[in-house]
Amino acid sequence: MKRFIPYLLCLPAIIYLAIFIGYPLIQAFVLAFTSRSGGISLENFRYILSSQGFKEAFLNTIIISGIVIPLQIILALLLSLFINSRFKGYTMLLYIISIPLALSEITAGLMGYSIFSSMGFLNKLLLTMGVTDKPIYFFGYAYKFREFIVIILSELWRSTSLVFVILLAGLQAIDREYTEAAEVDGATPWQKFSKITLPLLRPSLLSALLLRTTFAFQIFGNIWILVGRDIPVLAGEAYYWQTEIRNPNYASTYAIIIAAITIIFAFLYLRTLRSPHLES
Amino acid sequence: MKRFISLLLVSLLFLIPGTTIGAEKLILLSTQFNPVDELQYINEKVLAGFTKETGINVDFVPANYADFVNRLLAEAKTGKVVTNTIAELHGGFDYLASENVLEDLTNMPKLPKRTFLKTFANYSKIRGITAYVPWTQATFVVAINKEALKYLPAGLTQEDVLNGSIKWSYNALLKWAENLKKAKGAPMLGLPIAPGGLFHRFLHGYMYPSYTKTQAKAFAGQDAISLWKYLVKLNDYVHPASTTWSNMSEPLLKGEVLIGWDHTARLASALKTKPNDFVVAPAPVGPKGRGYILVIAGLGIPKNAPNKEDSWKLIEYLTRPSTQALILQGTGFFPTVKEASGEVTDPGLQVLSSGVTRQASASFGIPTLIPSLGGLGGEFNNIYRMAYERIVLRKEAPEKVLPELGKRLEEIFKEANVPLQ
Repeated sequence: MKRFIPYLLCLPAIIYLAIFIGYPLIQAFVLAFTSRSGGISLENFRYILSSQGFKEAFLNTIIISGIVIPLQIILALLLSLFINSRFKGYTMLLYIISIPLALSEITAGLMGYSIFSSMGFLNKLLLTMGVTDKPIYFFGYAYKFREFIVIILSELWRSTSLVFVILLAGLQAIDREYTEAAEVDGATPWQKFSKITLPLLRPSLLSALLLRTTFAFQIFGNIWILVGRDIPVLAGEAYYWQTEIRNPNYASTYAIIIAAITIIFAFLYLRTLRSPHLES
Repeated sequence: MKRFISLLLVSLLFLIPGTTIGAEKLILLSTQFNPVDELQYINEKVLAGFTKETGINVDFVPANYADFVNRLLAEAKTGKVVTNTIAELHGGFDYLASENVLEDLTNMPKLPKRTFLKTFANYSKIRGITAYVPWTQATFVVAINKEALKYLPAGLTQEDVLNGSIKWSYNALLKWAENLKKAKGAPMLGLPIAPGGLFHRFLHGYMYPSYTKTQAKAFAGQDAISLWKYLVKLNDYVHPASTTWSNMSEPLLKGEVLIGWDHTARLASALKTKPNDFVVAPAPVGPKGRGYILVIAGLGIPKNAPNKEDSWKLIEYLTRPSTQALILQGTGFFPTVKEASGEVTDPGLQVLSSGVTRQASASFGIPTLIPSLGGLGGEFNNIYRMAYERIVLRKEAPEKVLPELGKRLEEIFKEANVPLQ
């Protein structure tokens, strides 16, 4: 009997996962591979992959991720190195930087909107200061470039703290003896950073990159609030097909495509960013 | 160990649905009032009153159209009907009546102290039966900040606009919007174009009937091309952020726009907040008339549903003038009985209510109902949205775009087995 206990203890979690993750996952696959007429086919994939909407959404997702992720990593790295120097009052700054962690995508989107809308804080400030005599539009189909900038700023603000926390934890785990030994040998600060800190931080960087990339392909709440479908992204299209057009087949197809792209990226990261010296 | 296993089994028993023992409940399955705030209002303010009065609990089950229809058809097919009462739009009842899954309400006891508006009472008779009792109505109107009335184009008076005279045309709107842009230095006309907004209703239910007399029949014809050319011109005076707005209340309240078209329920919050700042006008008139959408929601009973008497009690309660006024107060959906107008006290809702009445009674009206295309309704909406995106926002030629999209539109009607409207 005793040997069954571990299985029994795992059972609730397994049942939960099977019902709430497993079943919808299977359902998504079934829907994605079911054609309009009801048979099994690749028709949905053919339609989505050849549609203008998908091409735009894919490109936009890549552009946003391609700009946001590297900027976030650099910013978070600088911030975590700064905080890790443990100057007086660093804990206060640590809390302030971490605030966005507690905010949902929707909240971040609403905050962004209240700053940048034509009656928003920024425009009010510019109008009061006399910098401009009429509001600057940041939103609207005709102002896509500005919408991109607002999205990137809002995303940077919202999710840099996640990368920051991971990198800071990584930095704190690095044994100070290594740097002290390097100092004894006369290493310059740059040498210490590039030869010791950065290689030892690689696992944390990998985790941060993995997390951020997978999240980046799922991004849509923030964008949905800020610009609607002016700038379509992959997850936003899945949501649009499901809730607005009510075509669960196409929505599931989008979901499967997003999952596939995320898995490919995760695989590439794991292959290229491993730290063999740490693993051995 | 035995004790542990029996404990586990007992706890699992509680997880199996249907084992909870509770009081008898009426199930009200509804595609209406599904947004959280409306749902809460209906539960706490409306249905609670019914329970207090009769002692009957009501389980308000929100559902989207597809789930709603699937559930009712499945219940009818298996012969195990558990849904007591249903709330849906006219189109859904039309479909359910065609599937023969609705109770005929013709011989139910008379509902006292209320006179249903004739149009609605007529609509509720479908395929030889009384398919539903009209419950609430809604439409889309133009909300105007009084400030905008200072810039009316020459020849157009405030009365023309408010009463929907022939002079209140789409061309007059264009000139008015142009005046406003000149005076205010920014476009002052707002439309809910963002996803989640109901802009597609403006296209198929207002513009198309006004220019072509029908919603979809003449989708790509010459009249439709002039409609789209008009929209391209109008776009110069539409606030650019309209593509990110799904609701006109906020932009109207903030003064970002002075004229906004939207669903009555979505304008209600602006009018309730600042009733003295706004007036409500019927939609303008186009070359073929004044196209506008009538949204009718009704209450019905599925065939062979249990507890029919209690369901009828619920329907009687929900269609009382006082209950309908209460629903308007919290949701912006209007009563379908004449007696309710005396019960509306909120000044903002009075403004809105008078606008709705003026639209319905304005001359040259072409009232249209949203076609009941079942699961294909979303794709139907998307065709009009895509046409707007391609022609107005991306500046593609309507002569090229419309035939392409029109083909799919016809297929949608064919697939849904609904005649092209």
